[in-house]
Amino acid sequence: MAERFSVGTVRRRRRASRVHGVGSRLGGGVSPYLYLLPAFAVYGAFFLLPLYRIVEYSFLKWDGYSKQKWVGFANYERLAHDPLFWRAFRHNMVWMGAGITVPTIIGLGLAILLVRQPMHGRTYYRAVFFLPQVLASIVVAIVWQWIYSPSSGALDAVLRDVGLGRFQEAWLGSTTWALPAIFVAWAWTAYGLSMVIFIAALQSVDEEYFEAAKIDGASRLQQLRHVLLPFVRRPMTVVILVNAIGALQVFDLVFVITNGGPANATLVLSVYVYQNVFQILDVGYGSANAVALAIAIVLASMFFLRLRGMAERNA
Amino acid sequence: MTLSLRRAASERRARTRAATLSKKTRRTKLLTDLGLAVLSLTVLFPFYLVLVTALKSDNRVSENPLGLPDVWHWGVFRQAWDQGHFGSYFMNSVYVVVPVVLAVLAGSLMAAYAFATMRFRGRGILFAILVAGLTIPLEIIVTPLFYEMLHLGLLDTLWALILPQIAINLPFGVLLLRAFIGDLPRDLMDAGRMDGCGQFRLLTRVVLPLCRPALLSLLVFTFMWTWNQFLLPLIMVQSDSVRTLPIGLSYFQGRYVSELPLMMAGVTITFLPIMVVYLFFQRQIIRGITTGAGK
Repeated sequence: MAERFSVGTVRRRRRASRVHGVGSRLGGGVSPYLYLLPAFAVYGAFFLLPLYRIVEYSFLKWDGYSKQKWVGFANYERLAHDPLFWRAFRHNMVWMGAGITVPTIIGLGLAILLVRQPMHGRTYYRAVFFLPQVLASIVVAIVWQWIYSPSSGALDAVLRDVGLGRFQEAWLGSTTWALPAIFVAWAWTAYGLSMVIFIAALQSVDEEYFEAAKIDGASRLQQLRHVLLPFVRRPMTVVILVNAIGALQVFDLVFVITNGGPANATLVLSVYVYQNVFQILDVGYGSANAVALAIAIVLASMFFLRLRGMAERNA
Repeated sequence: MTLSLRRAASERRARTRAATLSKKTRRTKLLTDLGLAVLSLTVLFPFYLVLVTALKSDNRVSENPLGLPDVWHWGVFRQAWDQGHFGSYFMNSVYVVVPVVLAVLAGSLMAAYAFATMRFRGRGILFAILVAGLTIPLEIIVTPLFYEMLHLGLLDTLWALILPQIAINLPFGVLLLRAFIGDLPRDLMDAGRMDGCGQFRLLTRVVLPLCRPALLSLLVFTFMWTWNQFLLPLIMVQSDSVRTLPIGLSYFQGRYVSELPLMMAGVTITFLPIMVVYLFFQRQIIRGITTGAGK
């Protein structure tokens, strides 16, 4: 086969195959692009193009039907002075703060229990605690909406049955309780993922480290802090990143359970975008909100990835 | 060193013995067992409530929300399937999930194969552009997608659900498969090339069979995400005849608030397939997450 090529081809070929093994003959030709074509055609048309368009829309005054009008940065100026935008933004930030702590702590606690304690039913518990993660958000929303509903709801029924009836509440109708209530439903689905990631990390810790620490007279708490913590630092950054992004993009639960109400007490950015674009038909302004949300997500990802880089350097 | 290791080993043996003997250890164990059992009940309790409510007659729900039904109305599932249109929603979900999963598997495999084994101009940039898709959620692009589908005349059809979901699932697929193909032993592919395999034959005969575990993980994840997708049908679909399960369920919730049992039967029809997939492929799901988290 080699006779058909000049010496130069063979040499080039050998070099290419040393670096990447395969694909030398057509390596510089069209072939790789043919393999990428199907993926990039769909990705380009239904992801990249809309991503470009959302930025374009954010500079328009447009109701979605009549003629588009270029208004420059007007939508962004309006956004900067819109109390509803800042309220939604604040709710997202509070959600993110709680979202990177609560599921992380519960997940880590459960992982430590399940890996470190001698017990039966470990696989059962792992399977059960992860279960909410695979449910459709609409199922989670319906179930929790109903748990919280006044009169017939499960939460109030339980409170009544154990004699705490005076703590009953119209949870989702209250401007104080609605946001925490939806957050609880979200956290119910989120901690299983954290737990699974921590379990994988903890299982790789060698038992000898604990024994050595114990011989050196370390208390249980000291063992956790000095032996276990260094091993969970890296997975911890992954968990925090995932939950932070999840908190910023939360939509389904809020939309179905309260649609931002009562009195905007649960308004978050993605819901505000939806209301502007599809209910008020202010596509330009809604798009500016979407771009702001995208920037927040990218900044948060970069921040937490950098944190992860720092954690790795210290490890 | 050896001494401390040996001491550690004997310590461990002592600890296992202590676990069965010491009163204090036994009490902590009892407490953790109890705590975990209670916590796992808070996860399972909503499922119990959904099932039990579906099977109750209407007026018994408000009288006795937590207990078992006195008469078990199994017919409620048939009623939800026919009158509640959940049969039609179910089939639409299947018609969306199957092409999305197949296209994502094929498209990611081909692209990942090129990224992992070939050398070409713009490889790094193209890969970065693709992976950037992992950080931008659907919420951001759904507005232009709506107007795009309007112009294509695909609004209110299943295509408006299929095409974008292929696009948003490709980045994860390419990332997962590229890592997997990159870890395959080079010798196997070189051997295939020696035997005169072209690139395409190499892909189908050598790489594809070796990728089976990664493809299975990708299949399970794409299935779950597509089956559960809520936002896209919310925006794209108007007619009852093209609704998928999650969106059908949400409209049902708006219309028949009073018919709680029927709605809970619909909830059951929506989550049951995912439960079955989860029970069968739990290992793949958890492995996929932990390898993804390590990267």
